[in-house]
Amino acid sequence: MSSAAVSSPVSGGFGLRRALMRNRGALIAAIVLAILLFVVDWISAGPLTYFDVSFLSSGGATSALAAIGQTIVILSGGFDLSAGAVISLVNAVLASSMDPMAPGASIILWTAVGIGVGMAVGAFNGFFIAVLRMQPIVVTLSTMFILQGVTLLVMDKPGGFVSPDLGTFYLGDAITGWLPMPLVLIGVVLLAWFWLKGTRFGTALYAVGSDTESAASVGINVVLVRFAVYVIAGGCYGLAGVFISAQTGSGDPLVGNPLLLSMFAAVVVGGTRLGGGQGGPVGSVFGAYILMIVVNILLVLNVSAYYSTIAEGTILVLAALAGSISHASVLAVQLRAARARLAAWRAGILPSQLERVDRRLKIAEPSHGQRSPASPRPAFHLRNAETLRYALPAYVCLLVIVVVTQIWLGRAILNPGYWNSLLVLSSFLAVLALGQGTVILTGGLDLSVPWTIGISGIILAGMVNGSDAALVYALPVVLMMACAIGFANGFGIVYLGISPIVMTLATNGILQGCALLYSQGTPAGFSSPMLRWFMTARLGGLLTPIVLLMVVFVVAAVLLLGRTPFGRRVYGIGNGLRAARLSGIGVERTLILVYMLSAVCAAVVGIMLTGFSGQASLGMGDDYLLPSIAVVVVGGALITGGRGHYLGMLGGVLLLTALQMLLAGTTLPYATRAILYGLVVLGAVMALRERRLQ
Amino acid sequence: MGIGLKVRRLALLAGMALCALGLSGAQAAEKHKIFLSMSYIGNDWQAEAANMVKAMAAHKSLADKVDLQVQVAGPNAQRQIQQINAMVQSGAEAIVVYPISPTALNQVVKNACDKGVKVFAYDAEITEPCAYNVHIDQLEAGRVTAEWLVKKLNGKGNIIAVTGVPGTSVDDQRTKAAKEVFAKYPDIKIVGEAVGMWSQAVARTELSKILGTRNWDDINGLWMQVGCFTANSMQLEAGKKTSELLPCAGEGSNGGRIQMLPEGTEVEGAAPPYAPAGAQRISYASPPYSGALALKLAVEAIEGKDVPKTTILPLPVVTNETIKLCDEGTWAEMKAGCNAFKPSLVSNPGWFASIFSDQAPEVGLAAALVGQPED
Repeated sequence: MSSAAVSSPVSGGFGLRRALMRNRGALIAAIVLAILLFVVDWISAGPLTYFDVSFLSSGGATSALAAIGQTIVILSGGFDLSAGAVISLVNAVLASSMDPMAPGASIILWTAVGIGVGMAVGAFNGFFIAVLRMQPIVVTLSTMFILQGVTLLVMDKPGGFVSPDLGTFYLGDAITGWLPMPLVLIGVVLLAWFWLKGTRFGTALYAVGSDTESAASVGINVVLVRFAVYVIAGGCYGLAGVFISAQTGSGDPLVGNPLLLSMFAAVVVGGTRLGGGQGGPVGSVFGAYILMIVVNILLVLNVSAYYSTIAEGTILVLAALAGSISHASVLAVQLRAARARLAAWRAGILPSQLERVDRRLKIAEPSHGQRSPASPRPAFHLRNAETLRYALPAYVCLLVIVVVTQIWLGRAILNPGYWNSLLVLSSFLAVLALGQGTVILTGGLDLSVPWTIGISGIILAGMVNGSDAALVYALPVVLMMACAIGFANGFGIVYLGISPIVMTLATNGILQGCALLYSQGTPAGFSSPMLRWFMTARLGGLLTPIVLLMVVFVVAAVLLLGRTPFGRRVYGIGNGLRAARLSGIGVERTLILVYMLSAVCAAVVGIMLTGFSGQASLGMGDDYLLPSIAVVVVGGALITGGRGHYLGMLGGVLLLTALQMLLAGTTLPYATRAILYGLVVLGAVMALRERRLQ
Repeated sequence: MGIGLKVRRLALLAGMALCALGLSGAQAAEKHKIFLSMSYIGNDWQAEAANMVKAMAAHKSLADKVDLQVQVAGPNAQRQIQQINAMVQSGAEAIVVYPISPTALNQVVKNACDKGVKVFAYDAEITEPCAYNVHIDQLEAGRVTAEWLVKKLNGKGNIIAVTGVPGTSVDDQRTKAAKEVFAKYPDIKIVGEAVGMWSQAVARTELSKILGTRNWDDINGLWMQVGCFTANSMQLEAGKKTSELLPCAGEGSNGGRIQMLPEGTEVEGAAPPYAPAGAQRISYASPPYSGALALKLAVEAIEGKDVPKTTILPLPVVTNETIKLCDEGTWAEMKAGCNAFKPSLVSNPGWFASIFSDQAPEVGLAAALVGQPED
């Protein structure tokens, strides 16, 4: 199916059926949306009027437009974290440059300005990703920070003015009483997409997303396609920014940022596969509206506040499940496999039931540990050349940052307090990096980190309530709970075939609801003295106990990923799921273990943060999601899986923490700091560029 | 067919295990239909404010009049826009809202006003003129606290500023007002500035970063929007005596209030650092009762009373001179002047203690903790 747009060897015959199969994701999303609309209509007080439809259409339009852009990027095999920031920037630019005194505003001019700003950002992204061959996730993450800073420079607080003319145009009716303008706008963008898809460029886009190397070898200009993808996507975000400006009639420098995660959910719910090559923007538009209409459903059902995130998460999972009901879905395959296993067990031919005989071929005695003198063991730096190439840049940059800190602020290199603070502050991300890093090595992503941290800390603090003795049972309970969370994630991903992003995003919402219900909004309890001592004491006035534990942790993490069968399997799965399965790796079990590891790491961070702060608070994990991904990638791991070393990730952790300490020590305004942070991250990963395609 | 029946039918049909269907409708015939649209519920302040609104609605003076439905929009302004619209469509008489953005909601709020719906914003502001706003004067908050700090330092010294969420009006107004005060004293130097996101946990991380390259001895005072409790705890961990704690202008967390009590005060449940330390403090906050008060005013407005468009709440300021421990935390007791709560009652030191309002005798400590009104 991934090559459906590229080649269709069988012609004629089942045209309609093929078209249906090809657009299954979008179709199912459309059906789900229709069902939800029907539900809203059925249980709300009055019938659904044109006014309601018009309102729903404008409510989801910003997300839908942005999701179209994001889908195009994802189709090409990319990832764009700067989308929300572009929307904020366009909103700020429009609101701060329109003249409130001017009688009218040119809709064409301002729309062009918005799209232009978006495309300029897209070109920036495209340059680094396509021309310099850097990883999309880290480039766009840097761009996101830079743009957030720039947006605050343009507009440091909500305000400004957007001409009502824009609102009248974009939120009005195309045909009075029949067709709201937002739907027309989305339709126009989709038509442009269909035109584009039919061109050589469209074919090249799917080809690059499906298999970059094959695309390059058949003569497609991969660099140009990738560059264009980000520019086009930027234009879509820009248009979304124009729309939200028209809708709100003013500016807010933070308005677009929270749209990011739901945008990915919309894309996945709409049937587009992360990693590229399959799906399309039409499904994403439906996905965006599905996520929006949930708001109305929660309202008509009167789901109480604490349950709302739980309900949302459930709806997200159900929508994703609905999208995967078919003969070829993971769930169906798993069920068939289970039936086959059962049959084999009955017949007594399961491998585990067979007589255990060593069936290996007899080969001449292998020379264990002995190498023939002709091929001496290569030097360390040659054996680990690949790892070094990707792990070293983070450490080199760390060194530079430390030196700059010494020169700018003084008191760094020779100040033991500096190093201790650096290591203590790094410890949280260092633990998270193992969990998130392992998940990323298998090609997944764990978005449930924030509230796994939150709920673990809250439950621990509540159980411990200042007593050291209670730690004895509280710690195991919290860690067991984390195992259960990780198992749920892994189970959904492996056996139900839900994409990791949707599954873990849903889990995150459900955990948030559980944390609120458990704490009734006010987390009780506080850390025990021993836990506090662990995180904040200074042994001999110099060293915090956690630092010693970190050393042990790092060694264990390196051994786990590098020297155990589990670690080998993780890399195997990341390098090729199919190959891993064929070589006998228990993919299902390993993946579930990976998500359990990630959840346990997050829980440990929750426990550490509780000790560090002395108490737990709601939302204590919120600031750790993006950094946990960033450090893994800055440390040289490949977001699509299979490549990366824990020591590299650790370098990423130390680098980002040292950078934050440097910036915190200055009195630069926040906007400047955000820009500098983004630039340094971007600079740090310059060395991680992919090798030129042959 | 009642809504309740429909809901049950749907739940059966779809097999959805949504266990939280608060059924309403049938008995709400003469009650005023009022919605609460919250933003992000995942932090302590929001949850506390929600408890107080619920308690207000459950108070005997309002319970017969109000049918309150609470909805959460999350951090996304787009969703709040849609939510407010859906509320208008389903027949709201008033909407109490914690606005995610002071400007982004203007259009939808205007639309609601045009249909005769009263819109009350609490804590933060909605700039659309037809909306009612209930909040403190953030400029005053910034100015008063900065002036207190300057006075404590005799107009001379190095200070660290920890701000709120950048890009919000509240943070902007508080920080600008404070900096204007500091700028008048050339000997006051801001040597470090961090973004604290109005969270004790973030304040600790940020202060730790700053102290990686600096000593407590280089610093003379702290101006924080949230984080004085944490800053004092960190100083004690670093080996400072309680008498050496730096003056700190900051938030109204109960932990901070308890630390303000003279050292040695007997307090039930206290354990360091959540214990009296005689810390030099000025403690202020955006009070979490503002939502509850907004609900009360909304009912008055529906009933035709004259409610001013803007209600500026008195800035709840507590200093070492006015700090007083509450026994049970009833409204009557707070009216008599107490403003800090025992750790045995409030186990979370980050909990916001500015819950007393002259105008809202319906809500006290039990309201903020568990959503129960006063008698």
